[in-house]
Amino acid sequence: MTIRSTLQDHGQRYRPRMACLKKSEKVLLEMQDPKTGLKSQPQRLVITTIPHAITGEDIIAWLADRFQVDTQEARSFGSMLVALGYIYPLQDHKRLVIKPDASLYRFQTPYFWPTQQWPVEDTDYAIYLAKRNIRKKGILEMHEQEHYNRLHKWMNHKWDFIVMQAKEQYRAAKERKKPDRVVFDCQERAYWVVHRPPPGTVSAMDYGLDRQIDPNSDEAVTPDVYVRIMIFTQQSIMRPRVKSSVSIGALVKYCATYNNHDPFLSNCLPSNPWITDDVTFWTLNMPCVEIPTKMRVERWTFSFAELLSDTRGRDDFRLFLKKEFSGENLAFWEACEDLKWGEAASIKEKAEHIYKTFLARGAPRWINIDGKTMEVTVKGLKHPHRYVLDPAQTHIYMLMKKDSYGRYQKSPVFKDTVKKAICPDEHRFSVAQLEQNSKKRRPSLSPIILRQMEQEQRAKMAANIDITQLCRFTTPVPHLAVYSGFNDYPTATASPSLTFLAHTPACPSPISVALDSTSVSERRVEEAEGDGNPAARAPVGVSKSRMALSLRRLLKGGYTPATMFASLSPKCHSAAGTSSRIQPISPDQPSQAPPRRIGNFFQIKVDIPPECRIYPIESEDEEEESRAAFRGGVGAKEIICPWESLTTQNGTG
Amino acid sequence: MTSRWRRSVVELALRGRQRGECERAQEALGRVTSCFQQLAVSLGSSADGSFLRDEMDETRHLAQRICRGLSRRLLRLLSDCGPAPSIVEDRQVSERLWVLFLSALEHFLSDLRKAYDLIGRFPLTQRNDRRSLVNTGCMDGVVAVAARVASVQAPWLTMEEEQSPDLTNHIAELEAMQSEMQLRVPVAFWSVEATQLAGAECGGLEGLQEGEDSLEELMEGEGGSRRPACCCLTCV
Repeated sequence: MTIRSTLQDHGQRYRPRMACLKKSEKVLLEMQDPKTGLKSQPQRLVITTIPHAITGEDIIAWLADRFQVDTQEARSFGSMLVALGYIYPLQDHKRLVIKPDASLYRFQTPYFWPTQQWPVEDTDYAIYLAKRNIRKKGILEMHEQEHYNRLHKWMNHKWDFIVMQAKEQYRAAKERKKPDRVVFDCQERAYWVVHRPPPGTVSAMDYGLDRQIDPNSDEAVTPDVYVRIMIFTQQSIMRPRVKSSVSIGALVKYCATYNNHDPFLSNCLPSNPWITDDVTFWTLNMPCVEIPTKMRVERWTFSFAELLSDTRGRDDFRLFLKKEFSGENLAFWEACEDLKWGEAASIKEKAEHIYKTFLARGAPRWINIDGKTMEVTVKGLKHPHRYVLDPAQTHIYMLMKKDSYGRYQKSPVFKDTVKKAICPDEHRFSVAQLEQNSKKRRPSLSPIILRQMEQEQRAKMAANIDITQLCRFTTPVPHLAVYSGFNDYPTATASPSLTFLAHTPACPSPISVALDSTSVSERRVEEAEGDGNPAARAPVGVSKSRMALSLRRLLKGGYTPATMFASLSPKCHSAAGTSSRIQPISPDQPSQAPPRRIGNFFQIKVDIPPECRIYPIESEDEEEESRAAFRGGVGAKEIICPWESLTTQNGTG
Repeated sequence: MTSRWRRSVVELALRGRQRGECERAQEALGRVTSCFQQLAVSLGSSADGSFLRDEMDETRHLAQRICRGLSRRLLRLLSDCGPAPSIVEDRQVSERLWVLFLSALEHFLSDLRKAYDLIGRFPLTQRNDRRSLVNTGCMDGVVAVAARVASVQAPWLTMEEEQSPDLTNHIAELEAMQSEMQLRVPVAFWSVEATQLAGAECGGLEGLQEGEDSLEELMEGEGGSRRPACCCLTCV
């Protein structure tokens, strides 16, 4: 007993149009014509003969003649009729195909024809199974037994009715003459083979999702319909157009690129699991597999989006970026994705973390976006929503795509992956092996378990990031989120020795001071001096000592002159200059910004703003110095988001 | 005081009798609907004819009478029952009957709708309509089935003689009955449990099972199907 609600709830509950059914019925009725239809013959059984049996070859010949097609096509058409359930085979009743020989078939009675309007009810199936149980004295086939147990559980409340009805139907059927009874039983069995297919087969009546609109109902023509038509046509007029040569060219290019990768158009290696029931293909292409397949790696070279969307590809890319010390771009992009697709309740929190980690001045994993975007983003972050980081994310995405992606493809990481990628041999299964495979099918991992594994992976990755990307002598702060981890930051220190940089207090030098105690005290002084005052300062004394220090660095070795001088070059100035613009709109009191320590590093490129990187130092002794220095070091001060500190500032700068 | 007790005993006895009536009527309804299904299976086939359709109408009317009476009595049974704790078990039995009746009603309705559709598709109003009937192999009519229908007895059939509607009205009436019953009495149908275990139906029909094996062999026909089920994908 089902309770049907009369409310319109806009759910999807209607079976879609199945045009094939109406068309098949027409063909079937044509076949019945005594003059132009199919010729039937009686089927001889042990006890009796039953009329109206037709041979497979007759069906195929008739179809070929009626529709003027070749035998192959007629055969597929005939098989479709059998698969839908309009004709059923008398021998080998579980295989719903037309055999082009003398095997016998019969027409199904219209009561058992498939319909579009009414789905096949489980109640009917339960009654059928109960009847079969009675006839077979409890010995059902395995899939039937499974269905039976399941229905007994779910239809427990009407089980008495089901059993009663089964018995009555059984008795009613017995009232008929023997040949008719045989026919009826064959018909019923054929009906259920179509609608509850045995394992290893699919039902031809599978149609995917239910639809929202009932195709059998007439659409009432209201003014609303016309309004919709008008809106649609207006929008079509306004739509921008592309030359067909361009769009077709794009299609052709796409087809040419993906032709070998399409499982319909070319063979999957080793074999397509949907055809051979062998799941090697899926296990080889799991998201977190160690060694990817050659085809998969080739797909990564098609476009940057392909690389990013494949988990394994993204891992590879991440590894490459780690080696290049530009992992924060990908981390930022992933953080933005997380924000976009995550829960609404956590948006504010996530946005804050992202700001603290990637965008703020002095952030541990500062990303390089242009001033305008930064302006827009920070402004939007005051009232964060799901898409607030879209411009920044797009910028970083383009940066990665245009720059890192190309280098990735030439990098040793990628070349190594390509070399190690495997190319499995094609399976060649015999018919017996195919049957074996289909018997051995097992369901895959439950999605709950998959999601748990995914979360564990993410947590593991999050833990890993801190260790490898940070300076070896900083301690990650536990209460900050995944993407951050620092507690020691140098201040917005004074500019390097070049005086023309003096007006950018936010520009710490890449040739940073060492980490002995003198520098600490020096920088404390600078800190005090460098309070949000964009006015020109001349920390010449400081810079001189810094120059001396840097020379000392140089002499100590482990430091390329090239990088040092490069960072002193005007180029750095411009970079520094831009970075000076990259400040939050609402004043961020540098005094409140925590003291920032910048390590020395080998700089491969020179146009990276100085305040972004903190990377492990190459030489050992410096590390030890610094570690000692900072062990009892400056207290941890977090980066504060500008909108939070609005209330506490006294509006300087 | 004692008179109230006596009254309740009398009431209980009355209700028990009514329940017994309903149970018998339920069985009768099951018989009639299964016969109706046997008749409907032949619709549109070569065994179709005016005799079949008449028999179907008769069966339908009978079922309708049983349904009407049963719904009325069940409504009375279940709306009368007070919330007194002593009659909880009776209430459970009544609820079971309620659920079984509604399931039977739903099942019968789906058969009726299908029959309506098929009669619309294969109207036998003209002579050459017979040409389009499907050759299914069923030759005989359903005389014995009709006889089975005629033998059905329900407790109140002789008493109530009402007019018999045609198919469309019949369906509409049953639908109205169904929704009315669902709205009038709140019965939690999931709380009803089956009285029989799974698979218990195999044991009870020994008398009917003679000659069943030969029927199975008959169904296989020539070209033995002794080989195991072939597990190949059907091509569509």
